[in-house]
Amino acid sequence: MLPNRSRLSVLVFLLPPLLLYGVAVLFPIVQSLFLSFFSWNGISDMEFVGLANYVRMLTADDIFWRSFFNALGYLAICLVLQLGGALLVASLLTSMRRGRELIKTLYLLPAVISTVAIAFLFVRIYSIDPVGLLNQLLHWIGLGALERPWLSDINTVLAAVSAPEGWRFTGLYMLIIYAALLSVPQELEEAARLDGASRWQLFTKIRFPHIMPVWITTTIMATTYGLRGFDIPYLMTNGGPGQSSELLTTYMYKTAFSSTDFGYASTIAVFIVVECLVAVGLILFMLKRKADA
Amino acid sequence: MKKLFRAAAVAAVAALALTACGGGGGSSDPANVSPTGEIKPREISWLLSRPADGAVINIMKKLADDYAKDHPGFALNFITTPDRPSYIQKLETLAAANKLPELFDTDATPFAQQLAKQGKMVDADKLLKSLDVYDDYRPGALDYQRFDDGSLYMIPFQFELEFIWYNKALLQQAGVSVPKSLDDLPAMCTALRDAGITPIAIDGQDQWPLERYVAYQPFREAGPDFIQKLKKGEAKFSDPAGQKTVEWLASLGRAKCFQDGFSSQGYSDAQNQFTSGKAAMYNIGTWELPSLATDKLNPDVRDDIDFFTLPTTAGSVTAANEFVSPSGIGMAVNSKTYDPLVSDFLKFALKKYPSEYAATGALSPTTNVETAVPANATPLYKKALEKANDLGDKQAMPWDTQLDPTTNGRLQQELVLLVQGNITPEQFTSTMDSTVAQNAPKFFK
Repeated sequence: MLPNRSRLSVLVFLLPPLLLYGVAVLFPIVQSLFLSFFSWNGISDMEFVGLANYVRMLTADDIFWRSFFNALGYLAICLVLQLGGALLVASLLTSMRRGRELIKTLYLLPAVISTVAIAFLFVRIYSIDPVGLLNQLLHWIGLGALERPWLSDINTVLAAVSAPEGWRFTGLYMLIIYAALLSVPQELEEAARLDGASRWQLFTKIRFPHIMPVWITTTIMATTYGLRGFDIPYLMTNGGPGQSSELLTTYMYKTAFSSTDFGYASTIAVFIVVECLVAVGLILFMLKRKADA
Repeated sequence: MKKLFRAAAVAAVAALALTACGGGGGSSDPANVSPTGEIKPREISWLLSRPADGAVINIMKKLADDYAKDHPGFALNFITTPDRPSYIQKLETLAAANKLPELFDTDATPFAQQLAKQGKMVDADKLLKSLDVYDDYRPGALDYQRFDDGSLYMIPFQFELEFIWYNKALLQQAGVSVPKSLDDLPAMCTALRDAGITPIAIDGQDQWPLERYVAYQPFREAGPDFIQKLKKGEAKFSDPAGQKTVEWLASLGRAKCFQDGFSSQGYSDAQNQFTSGKAAMYNIGTWELPSLATDKLNPDVRDDIDFFTLPTTAGSVTAANEFVSPSGIGMAVNSKTYDPLVSDFLKFALKKYPSEYAATGALSPTTNVETAVPANATPLYKKALEKANDLGDKQAMPWDTQLDPTTNGRLQQELVLLVQGNITPEQFTSTMDSTVAQNAPKFFK
């Protein structure tokens, strides 16, 4: 327990960041909530419409629901690639003796490349005319029948725009998980090994439970990042063809800045905030239940 | 502690008050085009959507420098965003914040019309007349900038004609000739595909190029009024003219007219396909003359390139010399910041602009100057320019400048699906008719 005087000074020093947070984060959220009850195109007078925007969003807007389910698909692909990939690579790294630093750096590299560059890079990779890397590879390994314009095919485009985002952050989460894995006490592992535990048992009974707190944080980070995904799909396909790769975020952006329907866009923004909170709540709830079980 | 809270509260209120001040409306009269008073040189800005090293900017830069010689302290600040969708978002956001600069670019969109209605733009009709340059302009160039009610709030800086460029050798190889009717196109595409040639190269990423195609059949079938009615919900895609274009676009899709994966290919991809001799046709305007009709063009295809204007159809109500002839994005003058300086500079610049612009080899929006054909031009250059001399009265308007933004966005999305065969013509028709019904009334009330 801190003495009174230092508690006060901690509070005083916490105040400026709290104020900044209030102005930069809470205020815009409240403002969006306020705007969501209005119809406003930015230049005419604001018109109060009550819950009409919410009713429209939930009952009469096919693009909204399409974007919502697309966003869930996008999230699922990103999570599998980011968390699954990160865990796999980090586990393999711990059993490597040489060249760890090189592998770590190589995996982390995409995280520092700008999104715009990544988007353009992948547009080229997926291209069919001129033939991009992916179609070329398929051709070489005898799967020529699978060659297609990945970003123009409504069946493949969502996966195609999710992959770069997943690929990009695998390295970052790998680093976090790798650091957590290093903290697993060696004595425990050795004791388990002496008791005849297999590698899989070692992983599921010792390592994974030990890194659980870090895993939860990483999952929350990856989920909220995934739900906020915007730039790569926007740059690669602008939500198209049709609405096949439209996410809630790109739809919100277009509604605000292309359709100049700021009221309705705010309604979608409020939904995204709620969705993120629900997602984090669900993760915590499920993990807690698992821990209690 | 209390003091700190008080200070924070004061700061928050001050911030709110400052934001509120920024929202003040314009007070000037948009019809007052000759403000009186002293010319006080200052820096003015032009928010624009034109290529950064293009002729328009280069010339205006030079004219601004010339003007500054006599008016020390004057400067014209160019704020460029060539990418049109990003530009429009910037413009709309600045308009919403009431922070538009002295000059800004816009098409004659429903959004711009709302700005004009609110008195935020200077009446260009009156302005050009007061500067004594109105009669120099091509009527078509001014008409392109007009709103539906005939009012004029934007000044054109270009004049372009849109053609379908084609590769004679490739057409010959496939045993087809220049289409006599728009309805011949699907069969042409099939023949070209059978010969292993991509029929039409298109920039699918930017969406407006495909949207041009939706305008063609209704313009021939029902004239320029169709889009005027459609955008207000008075006409429908389920009407005969609408159905004709829907069916035609679906047939272009079935005949695989556009390159594979076109929806994710950009402007330069499409142009490369055509200029490298892979695609047989390419629909683009005279702004591309320097790359399609000069010695910059790939020598392998240089002698094979030609163009045809928008084909007519049986029973067409518009003539062969009437097609898309836009005068580019227009420049609007902010009425809130319009003063003797802006007026005097525009007078200076608009008088000198046409001759400078024509000297670069481009078509001037005025008729008082003659375009200089560049030394490295192919014969096609002159042929293209001459088409400007016998234009008909009606022009096909690009639909992206006509529809309300939400309908426009949805149309661009659904068009790709229709042409790729992902939706049926019936689905397209019903989606678009309900989108128009839902969004048009709000914009055009």
